[in-house]
Amino acid sequence: MIMETENTKTELVVIGGSAGSLQVILEMLKKLKDELSFPIVLILHRKAYSTNILQTLLQQFISIEVVEIDDKTEIQNNKVYVVPADYHLLFENKHMMSLDFSEKMNYSRPSIDVTFKSAAEVYGKNLVGVLLSGANADGVEGLGFIKKNKGKVWIQEPETAEVDYMPRHALQEVSCDLIIKPDTLADHINKQ
Amino acid sequence: MSTKKILIFDDDTTILEIITIIFEENGYQVEISETSHDILEKVSQFQPDVILMDNWIPKIGGVQATQLLKSHEEFRSIPVIYVTANNDIVRLAQEAQADDYVAKPFNLDDLEEKVAKYLQE
Repeated sequence: MIMETENTKTELVVIGGSAGSLQVILEMLKKLKDELSFPIVLILHRKAYSTNILQTLLQQFISIEVVEIDDKTEIQNNKVYVVPADYHLLFENKHMMSLDFSEKMNYSRPSIDVTFKSAAEVYGKNLVGVLLSGANADGVEGLGFIKKNKGKVWIQEPETAEVDYMPRHALQEVSCDLIIKPDTLADHINKQ
Repeated sequence: MSTKKILIFDDDTTILEIITIIFEENGYQVEISETSHDILEKVSQFQPDVILMDNWIPKIGGVQATQLLKSHEEFRSIPVIYVTANNDIVRLAQEAQADDYVAKPFNLDDLEEKVAKYLQE
């Protein structure tokens, strides 16, 4: 029994979002507990020339360190990572992330699909993938891949999303473990 | 007291989204714009109490847009806070005839404090 719990414990939470997702992210950050036993990675669609402004702004809502990922960034528990604009994020293994400048996927770089798939391969059942508000289908295929690799899939309740296309499409395509509302996302993460 | 109105010019949607959330949470009415060439129409329609103007904004840029606004008697008194990551921020704000400036990346509390200062005057 203990072995089973150990095997399925969450080792990474990856959250993907596009238009309308920042509101949910901010609400989550404010309510996260001070000590997480895993890292959180945020994949948000952003303009190509955005500077490190996202990291700076998000850090103002949370005591846990927010880090903008560089190429070959060592991944550590109890940190929130944001992907820099105009790069895809890949997981080399459970200790190292790398950035990739290959072509856009779903008109997006960073692409949520690319990172969800990479994380699913590395973390398998120890991964939680979360898809929030957004206007395109990026992330839906990746969620399916997470599910196939026995990870957990959480999707924002479309009725609570500012732009519901992304979560609505995901719910149609992927079997979901949890439908989340913006005010409960932090609670669910805190319980992992 | 009536709701205070802020008009924000910035082409970075991430910044626009976060600032909007913060100011709306604090009871402000927020209008955003990713372009500044239509500043006169935007200001005329929204009637803001204060404006945040980014330096790098498509079409005519922050300096020219602010100058355009300040050249019109009816809009001259609306405070413009210039926002940029450019090291030359003081000169750019002066050249634009902005009333104040905030360097990017900014602290949200500092930004709110600066906006509140102009709304009290």
